Amino acid sequence: MTIFKHNGSAVVAMVGKNCFAIASDRRLGVQLQTIATDFQRISKIHDKLYIGLSGLATDSQTLYQRLVFRHKLYQLREELDMKPETFASLVSAMQYEKRFGPYFCQPVIAGLGDDDKPFICTMDAIGAKELAKDFVVAGTASESLYGACESMFKPDMEAEELFETISQALLSSVDRDCLSGWGGHVYVVTPTEVKERILKGRMD
Amino acid sequence: MTKQHANWSPYDNNGGSCVAIAGSDYCVIAADTRMSTGYNILTRDYSKISHLAEKCVMASSGFQADVKALQKVLSARHLTYQHQHNKQMSCPAMAQLLSNTLYYKRFFPYYSFNVLGGLDSEGKGCVFTYDAVGSYERVGYSSQGSGSTLIMPFLDNQLKSPSPLLLPAQDAVTPLSETEAVDLVKTVFASATERDIYTGDKVEIVILNASGIHRDFMDLRKD
Repeated sequence: MTIFKHNGSAVVAMVGKNCFAIASDRRLGVQLQTIATDFQRISKIHDKLYIGLSGLATDSQTLYQRLVFRHKLYQLREELDMKPETFASLVSAMQYEKRFGPYFCQPVIAGLGDDDKPFICTMDAIGAKELAKDFVVAGTASESLYGACESMFKPDMEAEELFETISQALLSSVDRDCLSGWGGHVYVVTPTEVKERILKGRMD
Repeated sequence: MTKQHANWSPYDNNGGSCVAIAGSDYCVIAADTRMSTGYNILTRDYSKISHLAEKCVMASSGFQADVKALQKVLSARHLTYQHQHNKQMSCPAMAQLLSNTLYYKRFFPYYSFNVLGGLDSEGKGCVFTYDAVGSYERVGYSSQGSGSTLIMPFLDNQLKSPSPLLLPAQDAVTPLSETEAVDLVKTVFASATERDIYTGDKVEIVILNASGIHRDFMDLRKD
């Protein structure tokens, strides 16, 4: 479906030892024209929950705004931050609501759940969840990301090694995709801190 | 009145992935042995690799009927060359012949995605990569086929030299040893097999070096 290739995107999340990393590219394009080189695809829901939205940029912005709204309501009512598993079900339900006129977005959700256990999942544009124990990928560079992550991933990596691995996987993959790139944005989240880093890659 | 389209296609895609890596004095060419059509497996034991000349090996994925026809044409042309010149074709010569043969059928192409590997006249490894109509380029490494989008980024990561535009100038890529290259090939096929349904069963690895040709097999996941 070429609507998913309109803006171009690459998002990946990986599980480590008591931590997770989520990374995206920074390009926003309109087909072959690059419009922005600092586009934020990953957003924070709360300190231990991040969502990266690939696909059509307008739909990812709208979906993000609606999700923040729903999460704030949840926080007011429940006096709690949402668990990642719960949040994933919320995103899935919201997407399926639009089953016959969907948001053209493929979300990647990453968070620390109960006992700070890392949780990642992705879903298609109509909310079919895919839980994974190792890594999830989305975007126009998804096939390249599958290959790179499958070769580079090891279970139980510490935060620093996880950062290196996810960065290398992201940069090698977007370099083979014309519609994504212009650097990378990586968040590495442990129970105690969040490290946000910008990657310098090929600027084409 | 919209134009009527054919309800039959002369082409099919039998899937599979091919990889070739060139070293300083060797070349590794590999392809999986699965032949499929749609969601079915026709056989787990089909070789996509063809030994065209003494120092030249071709791996082809795509439509295997066209691949078989292409191999026959090249083999016949090579035999003619041997009769006329009293020597084997060099790998760069075969590379040009393959390009011309593919372009000859520009308007009804061979649905064949090829990588040619071998040793050049100086004994150095060479790899040539092609599209279906004969556009080709000499490279240090390449992959083609259904798993190529999964494999290429990882090969870039492991093998690509740093940009020549960088300052201070960085040294070119340290060439891998033959065993390291074979290990890399095994790793990429294992990874591609996990995520590509058309790649699996076994990988056939051919190594060309000064002492001749050596063939090896490695089992892959059969699902």
